[in-house]
Amino acid sequence: MGKLTIGTFSSLIGSMSLDFALRLAEAAINKGHKVDFWVSGNATMLSKKAQRAYRDYSFLEKKVKELIERGVNFTACEACSEARGYHKEDTMEGWKRHNMDWYLASCFDSDRVLHIGGE
Amino acid sequence: MAITKLAFLVDKPPYKTETSRLALTHALSSQSVEIYLKDGDNVEPFLAFIGDGVLNCIKNQKALTIYDVTSLDMHIRNALLFGLNVYVCKEDIRKFGLTEDMIVMDADHPDGELKTQIVPYAEIEQAIESCDHILFF
Amino acid sequence: MKLGIFVSHFRFNTDTYERLKAERLGVIFVQNGIYHATLRENGKSSPLLEKPAKFYVLKDDLETHGFTNSQVDSRVKVITYNDLVDVIFNEYEKLAWL
Repeated sequence: MGKLTIGTFSSLIGSMSLDFALRLAEAAINKGHKVDFWVSGNATMLSKKAQRAYRDYSFLEKKVKELIERGVNFTACEACSEARGYHKEDTMEGWKRHNMDWYLASCFDSDRVLHIGGE
Repeated sequence: MAITKLAFLVDKPPYKTETSRLALTHALSSQSVEIYLKDGDNVEPFLAFIGDGVLNCIKNQKALTIYDVTSLDMHIRNALLFGLNVYVCKEDIRKFGLTEDMIVMDADHPDGELKTQIVPYAEIEQAIESCDHILFF
Repeated sequence: MKLGIFVSHFRFNTDTYERLKAERLGVIFVQNGIYHATLRENGKSSPLLEKPAKFYVLKDDLETHGFTNSQVDSRVKVITYNDLVDVIFNEYEKLAWL
């Protein structure tokens, strides 16, 4: 089994890239792979706790919690989060917050890296 | 002891979105990645600006003066100062009617010896071939 | 090089797409990229399909956009997320998201 690192900076609302990325992460762990999931820029919105579900907006907190339980390693860029006013106390349980070097370290020993840019 | 080569490819112009800035800040973070790795292990990133991405490399950007945010050419200078290879696509510079003297070519710092490499796309292609992972911004 | 390119846009600057080459090339249409696998604009299929590559389209995104397998260009294979994981790990070493 391999390791997949997924990195993205797309926002939770206004883009479907995080929906895609979480489904891919889920499919990968279903097959026994290890997954590191890095968010920076606007994607740090995904790490915010107390998201409220409305049908017109992506609601991914539940899925993230399930994937944390199943071993997906979620990490948010600390500076990107703080710049947006998302502080440690606002962050969902189970998330890590690190500098961008964490993402590069994850890429170091990853078998596959999918960096979702293109915004 | 292993080195993982990472290609940071940028084909978006600056400022309208955060995309190219994130490419630069992520690439620059390689300076401290060793804290997570075993002795002797490291990542080796390079930056390549292609297509509209070459517009990030125009010098004398005034973003810091006008909007109080670090300009992209400042980040490119830092990348050169920290020893990251920076490639800029020669064909795309020509396509936009830019000249090489309009491009950030050095770190503008006594310790910065590395120069921006304005190269044909074929050379960037070779660099992509030789990397382990692509991070496309 | 074994390269998998994710195409997530319909209208976009295709210069980079056209430039990317590999010994083994795969193109995976996701999000709005699925229109390249389905539409025949002015009677013509997407020029993106002219690249020498294997093509895939993500079933969930195809159906999200109102299309079915039968409307997909014959050059494109419809895959699930589970299939996509295998494509990523078994077919391509490097990945690029456009």
